[in-house]
Amino acid sequence: MTLETEVEALRRVPLFRGIDETKLRLLAFISQRARYADGEHLCNQGEEGDCAFIILDGEADVRVNTPEGEKVVAKVGQYAIVGEIAILCDVPRTATLVANGDMEVLTVSKDDFLNLLKEFPEVSLEVMRTLAQRLERTTQDLAALKAGNSAA
Amino acid sequence: MESHFNRLLASRNFIVNMVGERAQEKPFIARQTMEKSLFKFIWRYSAPQQMVILFITVLSYPVSYILLELPKQITNDAIQGSDFPREFLGFEFDQIAYLVLLCIAFLGLVVVSNGLKLVLNIYKGRLGERMLRRLRFELFQRVLRFRLPHFKKVSSGEIIPMITSEVEDVGGFIGEAIALPAYQGGMLVVQIGFIFMQNPLLGIAAVSSYPLQAYIIPKLQRRVVLLSRERVKNIRAVADKVGESITGIPEIHANDASAWHSADLSDRLYTNYQIRFQIFNWKYFIKFLNNFLNQLTPFFFYLIGGYLVIEGELSIGALLAVIAAYKDLAGPWKELLAYYQMVADVDVKYQTVVENFDPPDIYPVSRITSDEIEPLNGDIVFKDVSFSGGAAGQELFDVSLKVSEGAAWAVVGQDGSGRSELLQLAAGLLGPNSGRVEIGEQNLDKLPESVLGREIAYVGASVHVWTGTVRDNLYYGLRHRPIRSPERVGEAKSEYAKRLMEARETANPEYDLEAVWEDLEAAGVADQEELDGRALNVIQLIGLSNDVYRMGLQSRLDPKRDADLAERILAVRHALADRVAQDSQVHGLVELWNVDRFNHSATLVENILFAAPADPTRSFDDLAGDRQVVEFLEETNLKPQLVSIGLRIAETMVELFSNVSGDSGLLGNYSFITLDELPEFERIVRAGRSENEKLGLKDADRERLIGLAFKLIPARHRLGVLSKDMEEKIVKARHVFRERIEKNGKGFVTFDPNRYVPPMTIEGNLLFGRPRVDRRDARERIDRLIRSLVEEMDLRLPITRAGLDFHVGVSGSRLSAGQRRRVALARALLKNASYFVLDETLTGLSDEDREARKIIREQLRGRTLLFGTSNMAVAEEFPHSVVLTQGRIVEAREEELAAAN
Repeated sequence: MTLETEVEALRRVPLFRGIDETKLRLLAFISQRARYADGEHLCNQGEEGDCAFIILDGEADVRVNTPEGEKVVAKVGQYAIVGEIAILCDVPRTATLVANGDMEVLTVSKDDFLNLLKEFPEVSLEVMRTLAQRLERTTQDLAALKAGNSAA
Repeated sequence: MESHFNRLLASRNFIVNMVGERAQEKPFIARQTMEKSLFKFIWRYSAPQQMVILFITVLSYPVSYILLELPKQITNDAIQGSDFPREFLGFEFDQIAYLVLLCIAFLGLVVVSNGLKLVLNIYKGRLGERMLRRLRFELFQRVLRFRLPHFKKVSSGEIIPMITSEVEDVGGFIGEAIALPAYQGGMLVVQIGFIFMQNPLLGIAAVSSYPLQAYIIPKLQRRVVLLSRERVKNIRAVADKVGESITGIPEIHANDASAWHSADLSDRLYTNYQIRFQIFNWKYFIKFLNNFLNQLTPFFFYLIGGYLVIEGELSIGALLAVIAAYKDLAGPWKELLAYYQMVADVDVKYQTVVENFDPPDIYPVSRITSDEIEPLNGDIVFKDVSFSGGAAGQELFDVSLKVSEGAAWAVVGQDGSGRSELLQLAAGLLGPNSGRVEIGEQNLDKLPESVLGREIAYVGASVHVWTGTVRDNLYYGLRHRPIRSPERVGEAKSEYAKRLMEARETANPEYDLEAVWEDLEAAGVADQEELDGRALNVIQLIGLSNDVYRMGLQSRLDPKRDADLAERILAVRHALADRVAQDSQVHGLVELWNVDRFNHSATLVENILFAAPADPTRSFDDLAGDRQVVEFLEETNLKPQLVSIGLRIAETMVELFSNVSGDSGLLGNYSFITLDELPEFERIVRAGRSENEKLGLKDADRERLIGLAFKLIPARHRLGVLSKDMEEKIVKARHVFRERIEKNGKGFVTFDPNRYVPPMTIEGNLLFGRPRVDRRDARERIDRLIRSLVEEMDLRLPITRAGLDFHVGVSGSRLSAGQRRRVALARALLKNASYFVLDETLTGLSDEDREARKIIREQLRGRTLLFGTSNMAVAEEFPHSVVLTQGRIVEAREEELAAAN
């Protein structure tokens, strides 16, 4: 897979939907391409996060430590971006990512991603819009949840 | 056998030295200060040679006189003369033969006269150079004899130009110093005598201006001398400021202080200009005055001489002869005046240098040159010691202390409490202002360094690591004197004899730099091999061996020098290759060099050549221009394809990065092209696209593009510029290059799984491949694998030993502060001394430091140890301690006291 195919993949990531192609190419170029074999860890819960992952191919389990031990709480698949929270704000990894089968991943380091945002404000705007939409959705979910609870 | 020989040598040296010292005792005292005047210095060290110069000079006078007379005789006598044949030495000569005789005599004299000049000039030059060497060495030796506190007053920025450039003129002058005034003065006296004999009155007229000149010129010259002194001092200050700016360059940039420093230097340069301009003014004024006075004399001649001729008291012939003699007078007189000015100038330079090398408290020369070896034993005793380093916080007041032999004491005190001074006094590095510091009743201040520097090991609060290898630094404490000179035969032997002779001529030391200097006996080992073993042991003990091991991995090994190690590294390489082949986990982490397979994690140039340049420092661009490489690329028809790959890379880089600002860091981290190169590549890209032949790519552009393509690591950069076909073609081309190298390739070494590749690091040779760049943590995991294989196959020690050859950079700049300190500590431990003085070394409270302290104390059991620290908690590990505050002992804790508590 070359830069061009990675750009194709990045275009499908919701976070980068509105960003023009040359900037996506730059993003792809500065990110590192990595392969993970089945069972290898992308990151571990509680670690300092220094990069975000964009899944080009394959899927990963999202595991969280619970009092009853590690539990798979979700799966992430192709074109998902994970770990972006860690590169936008300094919080430890909130979950462990384990490759479920072979994976192709693009990793963007925190410094480079922030540099890119600084360099191209329109990218920040797009990222902000996406995050705001996500917040909006979360708020609605929460409201629905609360409404459901009080109804019960 | 060898050690016996050494001991013999040592004892002989000792006897020679004792005898020599007794014989030289008086001159030593007399020579404590340097000669204040240049002439005394010259006379003291070169009187016989000066006489030789004078003798040859005088000898050359009749020759050059006859040489001037002979042409006259040839024209008057041989060509225009009569009365032939002439008789000469019993032979008869007709006119032609006589002419030939005189001409041959003339030719002979030309040869003799010029030969004499040549001999004289060489003799003078050699004398000057020898005296210069003597002077420079004397100055440097004096620097070595300065007491430590003196270095707070002088800076290297001032000392260096004194020893190097300022005394340079002295050397050129020394050959002329005596002969010129003697010779020219003699000529002057002869000419004046001639004039006086013709007529005393005219004689008086001839010298009439001399008293005036003799009175005025020195007065004027004095001003020039004073200005010269100022100039020397000013330029010294400039040198010092420049030096200081270089040392403090980060501070200047961090504080935006460039303007201030610029103003400061500019101001000094203005002063320099002023001084120099004034010197010019005076110099030319003196010249003017001289010329004026000289030309005033003929005025008297014509007036008085003319009067005398008219009055009939002097013949016209005599007057003309006197005037001719006076003209001859001008030459020597001018020379003498020029000489006088030169003396004034050189002498002031000499004095302004020498006065800086005569501090009253300088150590006697025997302190550094004595070969006396004497084991120290007994207690370290401070008797009412007071010391002042010239500033507050560097003082000790009335300190009395007794450290019993074999005990370990902590010396506790904050910086500025006098702790460091106390420790330096105990190491004999400082001398007390009053009181005595003794070891076994021997006054340390009076002991030579041959005793202090071998019996006491000192690691100060700030350590110095010398430019050189780790090994050089570790064995530094054993290099006191040359132990064994190399066997010299033939030319080397006579060259060495010459070297020794010159050293004797110039009072330089006769130490042999090429000898083995490591004192194996003192280190307690039998040979170099064992010494290396001990060094490895010591660095292991103090926790430096991991660092040196890593240096070893990064260093390059010459397989010719250590074929065995190279062989064993290859064994690890094969074991690793087996592991990679078998273990599927590891398999995906690394791409090994395989001549039939393209390596996606390595650069394109490595893939194409499948070889490394013998000089590992060569850049990609440099390789793209290499004749061998270019010819090979043309032969295999890869060149156009590489150019187009380079062009596509350049296009992508220009597209991606032309909108990115240079300071964002993205360009620096990721682009193949730096910000400065970007416009150049924009032009090349335009040229590459151009249809027009004339505007197209030049040869130099193609070379740059190939250099760019060479840097490509396909798996990392994923630019998609490399097709499968191209990869195959490249793999095929490798064989062509290999044949080419086998035929005549000194510049490259091919990758061969069964051979050691010298330009690669040891690590590169172990792995013989690349960790995959598209696997996260591949490098770390491969490193761990290499490490475990190295341990398994017992290679850790030899690789660490290879790390001893690691070059530490200028003053150890490639080591971290902690590593430098540990190197200094290892150096002290290897010295195997009886007394150890450590200041602020491994005094942290971390477990690592605590452990290191324990090990050091175990190592030094039975020896006397003074351990300086500012931390009370550290001191509690020691059975004895002494606490200093503001230069006074406030508390001494002995074992008994501690036990009572």
